[in-house]
Amino acid sequence: MKKLFWPFVVIAFLSGCQMRVLNPKSDTADTLTNLIYLSFGIMMLVLIVVFVLFVYFLRKFRERKGTKFDVPADEKENKWLEITWTVIPILLLAILAVPTVKATYDLTSKVSGSAEGSKDNAMIVEVVGQQFNWKFTYENGKESYDELILPVDQVVEFRLTSNDVIHSFWVPNLSGKIDVLPGEETRLSFEPREEGMYQGKCAEFCGAEHTLMRFETKVISQEAFESWMQEE
Amino acid sequence: MNGMNVPFVGQVPSDIVVAWIVSILLGIALMWWMTTRKKWPLIWEYITTTDNRKIGTMYILLSMVFFIRGGIDAMFIRTQLAIPENDFWVFQSQKYNEVFTTHGTVMIFFVSMPLLIGLMNIAVPLQLGANDLAFPYLNSISFWLFVSGGVIFNMAFFFNAAPNAGWTSYAPLATDTFTTGPNNNYYIFGLQVSGLGTIFTAINMIVTIIRLRAPGMKMTRMPLFSWATLVTSFLILIAFPVLTVALLLLMFDRIYGTSFFLGEYGDPVYWQHLFWIFGHPEVYILILPAFGIFSDVISTFSRKRVYGYTSMVIAIALIGLLGFMVWAHHMFTVGLGALANSIFAITTMLIAVPTGIKVFNWLFTMRKGVVRITTPMLFSLGFIPTFVIGGVTGVMLAVAAADYQYHDSYFVVAHFHYTMIGGTILGAFAGIYYWYPKMTGKMLDEKLGKWHFWLFIIGFHLTFMPQHFAGLNGMPRRVYTYTWEDGVFLLNFVSTIGAFLMGASMLFVAWNLYKTHRLTDPVGADPWDGRTLEWTVGSPAPEHPFQTIPKINSIDAYWYSKVERKRLPKAEEPRPSPIAIQTVAPVLLAGVLIVMSVGFIYGWVWIQVMGGVAALGFFIYRVFHDERKAVYRKEEES
Amino acid sequence: MKQTSEVLFNDKRLGFFLYLVVEAIMFATLFATYILYTPSPRGADPTEVYELRTVVLTSIFLLSSSGTLLIAESGLENWNRLKIWIGLGTTFLLGSIFMGLEVHEFYKYWSEGYTLTMNNFLASFYVLVGLHASHVAFGLVWMILLMVQFKQTMPRALFKEKHKIFNYYWHFVDVIWVLIILIVYAPYLF
Repeated sequence: MKKLFWPFVVIAFLSGCQMRVLNPKSDTADTLTNLIYLSFGIMMLVLIVVFVLFVYFLRKFRERKGTKFDVPADEKENKWLEITWTVIPILLLAILAVPTVKATYDLTSKVSGSAEGSKDNAMIVEVVGQQFNWKFTYENGKESYDELILPVDQVVEFRLTSNDVIHSFWVPNLSGKIDVLPGEETRLSFEPREEGMYQGKCAEFCGAEHTLMRFETKVISQEAFESWMQEE
Repeated sequence: MNGMNVPFVGQVPSDIVVAWIVSILLGIALMWWMTTRKKWPLIWEYITTTDNRKIGTMYILLSMVFFIRGGIDAMFIRTQLAIPENDFWVFQSQKYNEVFTTHGTVMIFFVSMPLLIGLMNIAVPLQLGANDLAFPYLNSISFWLFVSGGVIFNMAFFFNAAPNAGWTSYAPLATDTFTTGPNNNYYIFGLQVSGLGTIFTAINMIVTIIRLRAPGMKMTRMPLFSWATLVTSFLILIAFPVLTVALLLLMFDRIYGTSFFLGEYGDPVYWQHLFWIFGHPEVYILILPAFGIFSDVISTFSRKRVYGYTSMVIAIALIGLLGFMVWAHHMFTVGLGALANSIFAITTMLIAVPTGIKVFNWLFTMRKGVVRITTPMLFSLGFIPTFVIGGVTGVMLAVAAADYQYHDSYFVVAHFHYTMIGGTILGAFAGIYYWYPKMTGKMLDEKLGKWHFWLFIIGFHLTFMPQHFAGLNGMPRRVYTYTWEDGVFLLNFVSTIGAFLMGASMLFVAWNLYKTHRLTDPVGADPWDGRTLEWTVGSPAPEHPFQTIPKINSIDAYWYSKVERKRLPKAEEPRPSPIAIQTVAPVLLAGVLIVMSVGFIYGWVWIQVMGGVAALGFFIYRVFHDERKAVYRKEEES
Repeated sequence: MKQTSEVLFNDKRLGFFLYLVVEAIMFATLFATYILYTPSPRGADPTEVYELRTVVLTSIFLLSSSGTLLIAESGLENWNRLKIWIGLGTTFLLGSIFMGLEVHEFYKYWSEGYTLTMNNFLASFYVLVGLHASHVAFGLVWMILLMVQFKQTMPRALFKEKHKIFNYYWHFVDVIWVLIILIVYAPYLF
């Protein structure tokens, strides 16, 4: 299976720059992508150590003609080895845990922060998820369905709620998910940095046509956004 | 997109019609075969048995039947997803939702769990030097409750009412406001009945392990599979009652009009808490016994005692304990707040430490040993790298903020298949090949076993490795199609090829079973040159395996007795064994519970009442037909 | 060879205790549910539903039934058949009265309009207390069966075993009732 594993890793890296989650177009998505790379790096280290030991032990101690009837010497355990593979993983996890907690606090306070916590300059978009479409309401009362229009370089804060079951709001290029719950309001905020079209999806299974509950996110220039807002 | 051009036969989707026809034909063929081969007395013997080996074998046999069902579901899923904007047969929208719901539920509750419980039944008493489980009668009830639950759950599909809210059955989608019809009632009752059986099994295992060990077999001399079974049983004991209550409340929401989990008045997130307080320990319930199997198998085929026995035991216990403190990592995107998410992220990461300890101890068990590549060993060796990949993606998922990206995407699907197949299913296969002589007295063919392994593992990685990247490219789970622009076609296509390879590998199992039983001779007590007590009794293990109970003075006592060319000493004063009987009551109870559940599922009150009365009647029957009566009377007279 | 009945009884006792752990976790989850949903933002409030008189009456009967069961237990120790009869009989009687009062309580609430579906406080109340009541009902049937068995000739060790297992069950059900008083009723009655 290792024969298959590496080609995939290579393909993954080659196409990595195209993968939406690893191709961040907002501040929030940036943080997440960095975390993903960090955790991936640390974990590859672990993976390589295990794989090397695995292959080495297997080749060296595989039964041969000469060893067919050998009874290997008894060994119970080795305190220092046990300590090594207890302490080193703890250290690695500690290295990972610090940025994890930091990012979790940074992003989550943005996500579920109170009204006072929201930035003054943030544009607010109300999001209502319902089987099986998305309704976006902008600050001037303008509404759009399944199409989210955002100005570039502008902090936007979403206030999300659901009319029926649980949905989850996800624009892989721009941010992670936040669940959209009935009878409750959740929040999410990010600042898109590049104009373009980005896919948005419902990520929580919500019924028959969950698959079709998608939306298009268009990040456009500030001027274009202003004029779009004025349109009827 | 679709839904109108689904092929229907009358009111019924054509896949159901096909399933009916195939099942009836297979049923007739089976009946004919059993009648001409005069198998009915044998069937009757198994139905009425309380013997742990026979019950264990039936668990495994039936799990394999459900494995075929869940596997066919998987094939439908993969075919529908093979190419973008596909319209395969009927499997779009609600039909697709039904297929992935049954695939998940069947694979977890009716394949993985019973496979492991079957192996526990067969191996644990033998490893301990016990003649049966502590409560043979209860064991039979457990098994038939599992059958009953399995029948209830699988029946749904045949009546065009397969559950459709996912195996997690999230509210409020799973309440009757959003999923009308009997579909998700089937889910509730199928799980409720089989869950009760699982709870009884856990009790049985704990009492067996605590009280029925052979003299001298201290807890610290127990094989690791028995240890894993003990910890697992405690997890079941604590986790399953929470599921029971969660299902009970969901049942009230669906049938009696309450609103525990409804968005407006109730709390949908409370369902998620209850479900995952059960659900996360559940995945450790599935993985720990597999760890135990690997420990025994790797030690046997390295011809060395397991490395770091003490830390292995501590690691099992720690994983079990931590397993209860991580449930909210399934809910990072719900908005529980930064503090909760951080705490659960860290506890989740911590689980990697004891798991890592186990991996290194397995590796060091092989070091300086003589590693024999047999089929069970091959599955164990395949497990190590596979599971470690699943483990590291687990740590990546534990990074709470990053999980905002992974959550509910194909990355998660890939991760849990790496742990569940790479751990549990490979473990179950290893265990089946390993203990097959104890079940049947024959040994599965090694060559075909290796074919099975290689096709399965290659197919497995082909299927699930690409799914990581599909997830990273923004593919959510539980979608029945995707577009060309999504850029996940190639990944999905490879995945589909892999899935069919895995399916094909199972044909080698069928061939192997046929070949083994038709063409090979029985084997002796100890075909693998084993280390633990199960290899001291005949193959297949007789109903009363230990005529004389051995006295144990070390770990792997049987192995050391072989090395020293001595016999195991006889225990002076062994405890009395549990009482085995033949009884048809448990299977009747299973039938009654099916009927009663159907009454609840469709709201037929009279059937509920009749079922309830019959179930109570079973208790009364049981009170007056206690196998202990004769034994105690004999004791009293002597 | 050790005494078979004693060893097998110890197995059974451990198994039954483990089963009671399962029950305890189920009740704990239902208590959590009750605490979570009570009081509810709409519909009836517990203070207007509960009546002190019923709670006191039911408690007196059920808790004293745990006491009368002790008579039967001491009868088991030295095989005093009369004591066993008296103990079982009074326990059954007290349990039945409890059951009657409980059914009456539910009936009364229901007819006052406090139904299962009114709000989540009442829903969790009925599920929790109802599950307890069904345990009492099951225990009553169990006692009848015990008494029938007592009249039959059966090995003494077996009857003792069955009786003891029942005792654990009944005391457990009583402990749950104490918790119900403390968690369900008390905060809204005093």
